[in-house]
Amino acid sequence: MKKLVFHTVILAVCCAAATPAFAQEAAKQEAKETICFESRKGASEITKHEIKPGLPNVKCSPTTGATLWYGDPYDGTVPMGKMPLLDGIPEGKAVVRPRSEKLNLLGMCATACHNGVVPPGFPKHKKPVPIPTMESLLPEVKNLQHGRGRIWCLDCHHSTKRNMLVDHFGDPVSFDQPQLLCGKCHGDKLRDWRDGIHGKRIGEFVSTGKKRWFVCTECHNPHDVQDGARNKGFVQIAPESPPQLPNGMKDAKHESVHGIAH
Amino acid sequence: MQQLTSFAADYTRYVLKGGTKFYVWMGCLAVLIVGMMYVFYLQNTEGLIVTGMTSQINDGLYLANLVFLVGVAAGAVTIVFPAYVYHHEGMHKVTVLGEMLAISAVLMVFLFVFAHMGRPDRLWHMIPPRGIYSFSSMLGWDVLVLNGYLLLNLVVGFYYLYAKYTGKPVNKKFFMPLVYISIVWALSIHTVTAFLLSNNPARPMWFHSMMPIRFIATAFAAGPCLIILAFLIVRNNTKMWVEDSAISLLTTIVTWCLGIAIFLTLSEVVVELYARTEHANGLYYLMFGLHGLTNLVPWFWSSVVLMISAFVLFLIPAFRNNTKLLPVPCAMAFVGIWIEKGMGLVVPGYIPTPIGEVTEYYPSFVEWLLTIGIWAFGFFVLTILLKGAIGILQGEIKYGGQAAAVK
Amino acid sequence: MSPKENPSADSVKDKPSQCQTQLASADPSAPGITTSRRSFLKAGGALSMSSLMGAAALMGQSGDVEAAIEWAEHFQKNYRLMTPEEKAEARARLERRYSAEYDKKVSVDGTESQPGVLMGYALNIRKCIGCRRCVKACVEENNQSRGSKPGQRIEWIQVLRMERGEFSQDKMDHGYPEGLGIQVGGNAYTPAGQVLEGQYFYEPEAVPEKDATYMPIACMQCEKPPCVKVCPVRTTFREGDGVVVIDYNWCIGCKMCMNACPYWARRFNLTTPVLPKEEMNPVTHYMGNRPRMRGVVEKCHWCLQRTRHSRYPACVEVCPVGARKFGNLLDPESEVSLILARKNVFRLKAEYNTFPKFFYFYD
Repeated sequence: MKKLVFHTVILAVCCAAATPAFAQEAAKQEAKETICFESRKGASEITKHEIKPGLPNVKCSPTTGATLWYGDPYDGTVPMGKMPLLDGIPEGKAVVRPRSEKLNLLGMCATACHNGVVPPGFPKHKKPVPIPTMESLLPEVKNLQHGRGRIWCLDCHHSTKRNMLVDHFGDPVSFDQPQLLCGKCHGDKLRDWRDGIHGKRIGEFVSTGKKRWFVCTECHNPHDVQDGARNKGFVQIAPESPPQLPNGMKDAKHESVHGIAH
Repeated sequence: MQQLTSFAADYTRYVLKGGTKFYVWMGCLAVLIVGMMYVFYLQNTEGLIVTGMTSQINDGLYLANLVFLVGVAAGAVTIVFPAYVYHHEGMHKVTVLGEMLAISAVLMVFLFVFAHMGRPDRLWHMIPPRGIYSFSSMLGWDVLVLNGYLLLNLVVGFYYLYAKYTGKPVNKKFFMPLVYISIVWALSIHTVTAFLLSNNPARPMWFHSMMPIRFIATAFAAGPCLIILAFLIVRNNTKMWVEDSAISLLTTIVTWCLGIAIFLTLSEVVVELYARTEHANGLYYLMFGLHGLTNLVPWFWSSVVLMISAFVLFLIPAFRNNTKLLPVPCAMAFVGIWIEKGMGLVVPGYIPTPIGEVTEYYPSFVEWLLTIGIWAFGFFVLTILLKGAIGILQGEIKYGGQAAAVK
Repeated sequence: MSPKENPSADSVKDKPSQCQTQLASADPSAPGITTSRRSFLKAGGALSMSSLMGAAALMGQSGDVEAAIEWAEHFQKNYRLMTPEEKAEARARLERRYSAEYDKKVSVDGTESQPGVLMGYALNIRKCIGCRRCVKACVEENNQSRGSKPGQRIEWIQVLRMERGEFSQDKMDHGYPEGLGIQVGGNAYTPAGQVLEGQYFYEPEAVPEKDATYMPIACMQCEKPPCVKVCPVRTTFREGDGVVVIDYNWCIGCKMCMNACPYWARRFNLTTPVLPKEEMNPVTHYMGNRPRMRGVVEKCHWCLQRTRHSRYPACVEVCPVGARKFGNLLDPESEVSLILARKNVFRLKAEYNTFPKFFYFYD
């Protein structure tokens, strides 16, 4: 246990050194660039730029910062890679936006602490133990609601390759293909996702067309599956502005009054 | 041919001449017509945004007046029918006045059609061969029957006047079939206009088969009311004498049609509000308001009060037979029906929208001005037509009778 | 009335100025501009000609917008009855006018419906969070009127917020109507479930709200569209791939279709659309998102300028929860076909027998 704490300190120092530099860079970029979020705030984001003169790759909402329009649905994508039962899709027809870009600590995880070896002091049993390092880095995992206490970090994260997820056989899974992991439990969702019923795809709608697939974690935060103010599997976001009141109407207060007085 | 040109010349000369009263009346109407033309120009440069119409309530005063005036036009048949089918003596003398009223009412309908349209400049799109006429559209049928009715009344009315003018007898082989057609046709214009609204299942307030008969009933009450008023004015201001028997027959027609109209309205209220389904929302809004929005409630209840009290007054012989007092219930019934078919039928059809949005209708100044202007135009035309017709019926314009024409 | 006066134009000043040169399609799969054969110079000449004639014809209309309308546009036929040459000519005419009006190269596509395609739409009503992103995406894509004056803004998609309902002990004693001995429970009028009586102007801090569900409504592209039946000039009609479209140049603005639509899908251009040049989407389709004019009706057409080239509609692409699905109903592998095969689906107001190709579903 002591060793684990020691590693924590090292990691914390590393992060403390890295974070301000990162933040500065981000601030500089924001000054000249418009970045809009795609599905949920804090997950995948797109930087606005021109793909051709006068034609932006995205248009963002001035009020909420959400993506409102795609000029190029395949902007910044890479081939999705092999998916079981989806091998019929021709090469290059299924693309994703890499998640690892966004998860910017990933590189450091694998080199600083979890460089492919079992860290000293690593528990021998499969029972969860608190990891103060990770809890300080990611506060939302402290009281992990995902699985309601039946799963913990290492059920999804690879124990030695920490920039990887893990499947049922202990083999590593890329962060760009979280569906291989999530499908372990959410089989019905995986099936619907494969057929385009669950989740989202953009690009060409014909079944043979090129599509950008949104992967699980672009819309869902697996560390935060529940909070008080919502009742769906999706985090709350700010809505866009309501429609214009018709001519003559002063306000929409009548809407909250029930139709029939009784 | 020479007779025809002299008819046109004599007629024009006669209707353009009049006393101070006539010129003042026509001058006032002309001012309103000019105002109407200005706001119509506004509507066609700025768009219908200058009116109170919205995407939610996409028709208002204009469609309401359109529907009402189709009824007034159809109401002329209450003169033609007794005159030619029952050979009512008093009516027969004034039939042509009814036809003149129908002509001016249809012209007003046309103006309201132009007023409510987004692109009146594209009206030719409805006219083949370059345009497309759609038989599946009730509006297409409405245009057809209204034009037909206008044509029938022009032909029947002016042929009769022309025959009087020349002093030749009316050619019955040509004339009578047209008269009978025009009687049936009068029913068709209002029926088709009722279908225009009622054939929209999306608008539950309108979507019931009672609509055509209710339209006819109200039309045969409102139309004759206006005719009675016109007859009384004619009787008091011109040399023409409209017989009491004609007016009393019209009063009878008004009374019973008004009674039927009130009965139908109450039937609707009972049917809709007993079950009080979602489809009754429009009527409920009209009667009591919905979601606290109550703009139309005073309109509805004033219409109910006007119609019922007019009906009661018509039932009292002292009122019915007294030509001094008769204008009161006539005006009440006319206004009551105007509200009932306008603000009380067209507007609540849009409230709430088919997907449940409740908004209110606020007619703008432009809309009122345009509406009043079109009515002014209608009275302008009616005055001219009645003046000419009376002149001919009284023998003041006659072929070869130059002296009369000059005076 | 000119777009320049629109205050919202200022907010987009920082955007790069739109190019005057050939602007490629925003849709990577869309074709290039097919009909712009004439030079810009010639368009300019036609412009000044039309301004002379237009002034005479159009009751004193003035300003850039009206000046750019060519004489022939007023007298063109119903688009469906035109020969292919006339159609190309009409589109080229529009491209000239729009390019002059919006200071950029505007393409007006005329791709007809493709054989073997019947477009269909499905919406997962359980997933919708009421964020209205589809509404705004639609406006960005389809060149609707913006503007701030009442009546100027047009949105084709409506999102209805419905209360989940709260049944309570307190209401138990308040039967209705009271005193008549009729048994109507005090909780009878508690709203619950999917009903068409809700709120359109909701404005919470964040959605989804715990006590609400949401239902977006737009044109259902009915297989038996009542709006088409009532049109007196046949300017609105059903295309081969199932989309109900409008020839805006033929519409007389009689609004009968608005009366007939059970889904309140149609909107009326109360005034000349307010569409700032910078915000105008230059990739247009004749039946689709080309800028409209005053006094005509418009509605959703499933982004014909995109879907005719296999691209998803704009609303599908921006839905953050993936509630919106689009596909070819004739293709058993398409998303929509699979949803119909697997999920519980309903059509809004099925009792009207309009047979929408827009399906709501739960999962």
